Amino acid sequence: MDPSLYLDKDTFVHRLDPRTKMFLLLGMFVLAFVFTDPLYLLGVLVVVLLFGYLSSTLANLGRIWFILVAIAIVSIILWSIFGSGETPFFLFVEWEAFIYGVSIALRLDATIIAGMIFLSTTRNEEVAIGLVRLGIPYRFAFAVSTALRLVPTIVATGLTISQAQRSRGLDLDSGNIISRIRKHVPLLVPVFVTTVRSTNVFSMALESKGFGAGSGRTFFLHIALGRRDVLVLAVFALLLAGCIALRVMGYGELEGFSL
Amino acid sequence: MWRHTQLVVLTALSAAIYAAVLIPFKGFPIVPGFIELRPANVFPVVFGLLFGPAGAWGAAIGNLIGDFFGTLSLGSAAGFVGNFFLAYLPYKMWGYYFREDENMEQNVNSGKKLAVYIAVAFLASTVCALIIGWFIALLRLVPFTIGLISIISNNAIMAIVLGPVLLLALYPRVKRWGLLWTEIMEPEEVSASRLRGVGQILVWVGGIGGAVVGLVLSLTGASPMGAGVGLALIPFLVVILIGAFMLGGREQVEAAEKLMESETNETSEV
Repeated sequence: MDPSLYLDKDTFVHRLDPRTKMFLLLGMFVLAFVFTDPLYLLGVLVVVLLFGYLSSTLANLGRIWFILVAIAIVSIILWSIFGSGETPFFLFVEWEAFIYGVSIALRLDATIIAGMIFLSTTRNEEVAIGLVRLGIPYRFAFAVSTALRLVPTIVATGLTISQAQRSRGLDLDSGNIISRIRKHVPLLVPVFVTTVRSTNVFSMALESKGFGAGSGRTFFLHIALGRRDVLVLAVFALLLAGCIALRVMGYGELEGFSL
Repeated sequence: MWRHTQLVVLTALSAAIYAAVLIPFKGFPIVPGFIELRPANVFPVVFGLLFGPAGAWGAAIGNLIGDFFGTLSLGSAAGFVGNFFLAYLPYKMWGYYFREDENMEQNVNSGKKLAVYIAVAFLASTVCALIIGWFIALLRLVPFTIGLISIISNNAIMAIVLGPVLLLALYPRVKRWGLLWTEIMEPEEVSASRLRGVGQILVWVGGIGGAVVGLVLSLTGASPMGAGVGLALIPFLVVILIGAFMLGGREQVEAAEKLMESETNETSEV
């Protein structure tokens, strides 16, 4: 299992400045929260999928489809039970509560897919320098990008350790979910120890290369907001403003739903 | 903290370990899009006690990275803050429960230390659940009761049942490698405790009080989510924040220095 989502492609979205992509991601979150009517939220989901299509990253949907479907099903069930409305639909479930569940499912799936597209089109180095250019202290940005980079390595270490334990007779695949989790817990210790053991060597390697030696830091990777970024941000800002205006005028609201 | 390269690296490693163990379980949602089965929740409290501020930042960043793989939403902002507190409170509160001349190593090798561990892990789990539950209820995403109970149980069960075992196994190794936060940081770098007794009381009152008030509002149907429960819980969150600032932690670094000195003296005498 490789948790890295980045897809190395040369598309319009890949070439955008990482800060632009961060603003788009944040804007997409806001956009997803503007409406409660599922038809409007479907429109938001279409916008997100359009970005996915333009960036050729929809292939990664195959890796998270299970989560998206689980979220959709359980959201609909949860809100059908806890919400209430005016129109009887099925047994004790009211139509408005059911539809609100659909809205929440669309909202969550849209934000998750937006996050997936961000990670699929942005390299770790770009995340780090994007954060620094946004005013985040370098050491914090370094910790974030290093953590992102190390996740696949640690997952690989975990898999190696579990294979080693399996070869010694540990059965990790039988039993219910609780007992399977219980069997995985002892594997956490070697994963932790193997990873944390490298801290001192890692720190010395960083310091030998001048990490933190001076306050003014230069970067190998250069990023700049170009005309393309400004255009995309302007179009998205207009879209967001238009959606907010629609909502203020009373469109996109689900009527009849209450808790 | 950020001037120590070791702590920067520990922040990254803690975040990576937390995210790496969180991600495989994204497929087992409890409240889809927000809360899933999280065996990895054993880590934040242990990270906090061992690595101090680096563990707290690591828990916050690791949770955010994990969120990108199935639970990313505006609620992730609360997840960042909540997980920070899940690791921050145990390390800040630990020293208060021990006398100055007492061994206050962040381990669970005595009955008293185990009791302190359980208490702070439970409170940190409650505060984390309160912050996340409040925010997602304010955004009208999930009713407060569901958010609070599922997050507390997820955090507390993992931290209380599995945490002591993990801490017992890891503490000696981390100490041998010189990676405990009390060994890396100097006393003057850690804030001195100002009225830490008051700080402890404020955090306990804010955490438990907020959870109870939120549950009452939610369960009685007065305000299961939205502005009602959102506004009602703000004073409790402010109280937690003020209390957290008063906790300090310098006494733990000073105790670790004394312990190291006495161990060095013993070795040289031998």
